[in-house]
Amino acid sequence: MTTPKIIPARNWGQRAVALLLIIIVALLVSLVATSRHIIWSAIPQYIFDETILDGIKLTILFTVLSMVISIIAGAILAMMRLSPNPVLSAFASLYIWFFRGTPLLVQIIFWFNIQLFIPSIDIGSFHVDTNSIITAFIAALLALSLNEAAYMAEIIRGGLMAVDSGQHEAAKALGYTPGQAMLRIIFPQALRVIIPPIGNQTISMLKTTSLVSIVAAQDLLTRAQNIYARNFLIIELLIVASIWYLVMTTIASAIQFIVEQRLGKSTNQTPGFVTNALRLMRAEGRNG
Amino acid sequence: MSIPNISPAASPIVEAVDVHKSFGSLDVLKGINLAVSKGEVVCLLGPSGSGKSTFLRCINHLERMTRGRIFVDSRLIGYHERGDALYEMSSKDLAAQRRDIGMVFQRFNLFAHQDVLTNISQPPILNRGTPRAEALDRARELLKMVDLEGRGSAYPYQLSGGQQQRVAIARALAMNPKLMLFDEPTSALDPELVGEVLNVMRKLAADGMTMIVVTHELSFAREVADRIIFMDQGVVVEEGPARELLDNPRQQRTQAFLRRMH
Repeated sequence: MTTPKIIPARNWGQRAVALLLIIIVALLVSLVATSRHIIWSAIPQYIFDETILDGIKLTILFTVLSMVISIIAGAILAMMRLSPNPVLSAFASLYIWFFRGTPLLVQIIFWFNIQLFIPSIDIGSFHVDTNSIITAFIAALLALSLNEAAYMAEIIRGGLMAVDSGQHEAAKALGYTPGQAMLRIIFPQALRVIIPPIGNQTISMLKTTSLVSIVAAQDLLTRAQNIYARNFLIIELLIVASIWYLVMTTIASAIQFIVEQRLGKSTNQTPGFVTNALRLMRAEGRNG
Repeated sequence: MSIPNISPAASPIVEAVDVHKSFGSLDVLKGINLAVSKGEVVCLLGPSGSGKSTFLRCINHLERMTRGRIFVDSRLIGYHERGDALYEMSSKDLAAQRRDIGMVFQRFNLFAHQDVLTNISQPPILNRGTPRAEALDRARELLKMVDLEGRGSAYPYQLSGGQQQRVAIARALAMNPKLMLFDEPTSALDPELVGEVLNVMRKLAADGMTMIVVTHELSFAREVADRIIFMDQGVVVEEGPARELLDNPRQQRTQAFLRRMH
């Protein structure tokens, strides 16, 4: 007697949807690929254009600087928010409320036009025109950093609150000063919770920086716009920019993946964030 | 209040005078007076909500008292007394005072991101300026003392509750405290793990460490404590030598409590 072969149940509904998707994607691709309105040769021509590469440098610079500034400012705001002093905590709440509640685009335009209500800075005999300090670069950086700091403050506050209060008590009982306890005991443990969302924010920031093109801050999108303003290859240059944004976010995601793996290995009370996510995905794959 | 069972020559290492504590309108401590002499083991017994843990936490100023004074080694804890007012110390001064007072918590509170050896050696390195090599040697010695030789590279989550609590005791001892406070050290443990922690505490008592222990372990109190303080509703109801208090409680509340515990 032979053992009967096991044939898993087929989900015909899923197969039908999959087929439909394949058809739709194929149609879209052929529509774009065979379009007589896209000059494909323009893409290799511009992808390594010096202007575009300069724009990438600036986009990366905006991302890195605004993330560093916002993490520092966010940490300060988070500690203020958690402080027992009502003025400090109210200030932090107000800041977060304001900067999360107004559009980033508005904030960028505001900083760029700050000279309209503060035309110059005078301290004693020191005099300087606001315009000469608040360049498009500085306005863009200020807007990105101050806005991001509000989100960072909430992320860091969440991380600090996730650390068991017993850890703080033990540190106190062992004679740690509050600063030491924060630095040596609380913050390192909060990092486990803080780092994954910081990774997400960084990836998001790579794309958000494109908003600064509104003040012509010379980022990647600004450069692409400058070029297509001259030659009208709008779609082609937007494709060039998109390719670079995809490259940057893919690399950033890979870095995030590696960092989270490390983090999960070194200090796991619970299995790492990534390990958990992978396990979930695998389990779902099995079900599907 | 009289201080029974200690020789008059020994000046107390802990002295609490009229300690009050209230949370809002709730009076948790209503005037606790207590003196503990060097090398003495005192157990605080009492029903939950009697204020014994709160009182313990006042001794190293983890809890701010509402009135009264506590001295450890003749130094006022948590405050500078000027005129007729007590000014709370800066967090730096508080930290310095706490370095001499070891504390063991119900929930162990080992630093989750550090291995066992770092848990034990970092506090003296940072807070006593002990050279690293010396602190690590001492940490290994203490691990041996709590029967965890060779487990220095383990992380807290890899240890059982009993093992974690023994590491916590070693960590407190690494600061060379003058006094050890135990806040229900075995209450969070599975019953079969209680013994290993009590064994370490027995050893410590035999070595002459001054200990104040909040506990529900009556047999431990009977065997190890020099003196038992029975608290209820924020006051000391009765105190006396361990056996005497456990076998012949004089106060009705003590009798009722002990009946419930058996």
